[in-house]
Amino acid sequence: MSARDDILAAVQKGLTQGQGGAVQRRNPDAIRAEAAQLLANLDEIRPDLAAGDPVDAFVAKCANPALGVTLDRVANWQALPRAVIAYLDQHDLPHRLSVSGDPRLDALTGIEAHQPCAPDEAAAISVADWGVAETGSVVIHSAPDQPILNAMLPRHWLVVVEEKKILPFLDDYATYAASRPRNAVLITGSSGTTDIEGFFVRGAHGPGFVHVLLVAG
Amino acid sequence: MGASAFTQRAHDALADPNLKTAIDRTTGTAETKRAAAVGAFPEFQAARARGAAIKDHVIANLDHYLVEFERNAQAAGAHVHWARDKAEAAEIVTRICKDADAKLVTRAKSMLGEEIGLPHALDDAGIERVETDLAEHIIQLAHERPSHIIWPAMHRTREDVATLFFKDHHPPPDADDPASMVASARRILREKFMSADVGISGANFLIADTGATCTVTNEGNAELSTTPPRVHIVTAGIEKLVPSTDHAMALLRLLVRSATGGEVTQYTTFHSGPKRPGDADGPEEMHIVLVDNGRSRMVGDEFRQMLRCIRCGACMNHCVVYRQIGGHAYGGTYPGPMGAVLTPVLDGLAQSRDLPHACTMNGRCEEVCPVQIPLKTLLKAWRVRSWDSQQEVGPLRMGLGLWGFAARRPRLYHFGTRLALPVMRLFGKGGWIRRMPFAGGWTDTRDLPKPAARSFMSQHANHGNEGPK
Ligand code: SF4
Repeated sequence: MSARDDILAAVQKGLTQGQGGAVQRRNPDAIRAEAAQLLANLDEIRPDLAAGDPVDAFVAKCANPALGVTLDRVANWQALPRAVIAYLDQHDLPHRLSVSGDPRLDALTGIEAHQPCAPDEAAAISVADWGVAETGSVVIHSAPDQPILNAMLPRHWLVVVEEKKILPFLDDYATYAASRPRNAVLITGSSGTTDIEGFFVRGAHGPGFVHVLLVAG
Repeated sequence: MGASAFTQRAHDALADPNLKTAIDRTTGTAETKRAAAVGAFPEFQAARARGAAIKDHVIANLDHYLVEFERNAQAAGAHVHWARDKAEAAEIVTRICKDADAKLVTRAKSMLGEEIGLPHALDDAGIERVETDLAEHIIQLAHERPSHIIWPAMHRTREDVATLFFKDHHPPPDADDPASMVASARRILREKFMSADVGISGANFLIADTGATCTVTNEGNAELSTTPPRVHIVTAGIEKLVPSTDHAMALLRLLVRSATGGEVTQYTTFHSGPKRPGDADGPEEMHIVLVDNGRSRMVGDEFRQMLRCIRCGACMNHCVVYRQIGGHAYGGTYPGPMGAVLTPVLDGLAQSRDLPHACTMNGRCEEVCPVQIPLKTLLKAWRVRSWDSQQEVGPLRMGLGLWGFAARRPRLYHFGTRLALPVMRLFGKGGWIRRMPFAGGWTDTRDLPKPAARSFMSQHANHGNEGPK
C-alpha cells in the first residue's frame, strides 16, 4: 500500500475502532453543514471593530504604535504623487521608487520609477487589493502587476489602499481567498522580531517602515 | 532517554543561572502580553470553545479533509506527497532538493521540520541549509536545537547572541544592542534569500477547500524563503487541516493572541501552488509533504484531543516547570506541557516516561490553552500507561508501595510522620531546609520549607478538642 493509503486507512481505523468509541461517519454534505454551523454567530467569537465605520476603524488600528505603520489620507488618485513625494522628503529619500507595475501607479509624476525591486531597495510602492478594519491589515494577491517581493524587500514600503476596498473583518476577506492566487499576503504593520529576549525590533527581514496611503475617491 | 538522562538535564538546567535569566526575560514578557491581548478580547472564552469545536470537527472527519485538501492543492498545481513517519518525510524532502539540483536551501522556521529531523537530513545530503528565522539563525550558529516552539532561542541572552554574531557576522554588530544584531542578521540573510534554489516552510494551517497552506510570521522570512527560489516545499502534520479560510481566521485570532499577544502576526500568507503564468514572481514548483508520524494513531487513542494543538506555546510560557528548566531538558522536539504529552507519542514512552511525571498538576497550561486541551488529563493518562507497563523504576514503585501500605493503616501513618517531622526539623534553619541527606535532588537547587512545629493531623485533633462540642 502507498503511504497515502496507509495513512488514510489508519485515520479511518482510528475513527471507527478507536478506544474513544466509534466516531459517527457522515456524508460530505453533512460534513459541510456542520463546518458551516461552526461559523455561526461570528460576532460572538470575534472582537468589535475599533470604530463603527470600517474606514474609521482601519485608521484607528493603523494609529496603534505597536503596528509600526504611518497613514496618510489622500483625497484622490490625482493627489497621490504629492503625498508620495512628501513621505520621501520627510525621510530624506531620493525621489526614486520600485513600483509594482499596477497601471494606476503610472501617473506618479516627478518620481523615477523602476522594476523589479532590488534586494537593497530603499523604497517601493504597491497597491493593496483590500484593507481589513479589524486588524489594520492590507492584503495583496500575487499577480503580473503585484510582485510579492516589492512588498518584502524595501526598507520603506508605501502601500496605496482605496477606502472602498476596506473590509470590516478578517472573515469578510476570507471569501476573496477563494480566487486562489499563488500568494495571498495579509500584511499588518512593519516587519519585526522579538527573538532576542522578547525585545521588539523593527525591520527584521521585511520593511522596517510601512506607510499606508488611504485614497478616498 | 533514560530516567537519569532527563534528571541530569533538568539538574544541569537548574544549576545554570544564565538560563534562568534568559527564560524569565522572554516568558515574563509573553505572559504579560498575552494577558493584555486576552483582556482586550471579551469574546475570548467563546472563541476558545469554538476553536476547540472546529479542531474536533476536523479530526472527526480527517480522512475527508485530507482528500479534499489534496484534490484542491493539486488543482492549484502543487505536488502532494504523503509520509508515514519522519524518516520517510525527510527522505521525500531531500529527494525533491536533489532532483532540483539544489545547492542552497533556505528554511522558514517549522517545528514539524525539527520533528522529522530535516536540518540533519539536509546537512547529511550535503545541501547548504540556511535558517532564516532570526532565532533559528541564532541556534544554527550555536549548533543547538530550539528550546521553545515560538522563541526557539529563548535560552540565549542578548549577550550570548552578541558573542555568536561577533564570531560569524562580518562586520560584527554592536554588542548589547538587539537592534544592531537584527540589522546584521538581515544583511547576512538577505543574500541567502535571493540566491537559494529551494525554500522550505511549514504550515500553521492547511486549507481544505482551497488547497492553500498558511504561514504566519512577524519577520517576513516565510515570504522571503518561499518566493525567490525555484522550488517551494511545505512540510505539515496532517492535523493542520481546517475546512476553509474562514475557519483559519477564527483560529488565527486565538493563535496569535496566545503566542505573542498580538492580534495578528505582521505576515499571514496563504500559499497556493507555483507561480501562475505571467506572475511577477514565485517558484516554478510547489510540493506539499503531509506527515503522519504518530498522528493517525492518536486519532484512535486517548490522546486524540492533543491533535487540536495549534502550537501557540502558551502552555510552556505559563508552566512552572518549563520556566525553571527550559526547553532542552525535555529532550524531545516539543517542550513544556504539550511536549510532555507529544514526546511519548513521537519518541516512545520508554524514552520519555519522565516527562509526564515532571508536572506539578497546577493546571495553568490548560487554563491558557486556546483550544481547551485537557493537558492535565492527558499527562495523567501517560502516567497510568507508564505505571501499567511497569516502566517505573524500582525505588519509585517500592516507595509508593510503602506509602500505600502505610496510608491504608492510619496508626502506622501517624507513627511514621511523628517520627519523620522532628528529624526533618533538625536540618532546618530560618524556616528553610537547605540540605538534607537523601534529598539532594530537591535541595541541590532549591530549599525545602522546614516543617511546622506540629503536623496538620495533630493540630487538627487539638482544634477539634477546643471547638464547640
Ligand atoms: S497545547 Fe494548547 S497552549 Fe500548548 S501549544 Fe498547543 S494549543 Fe498552545
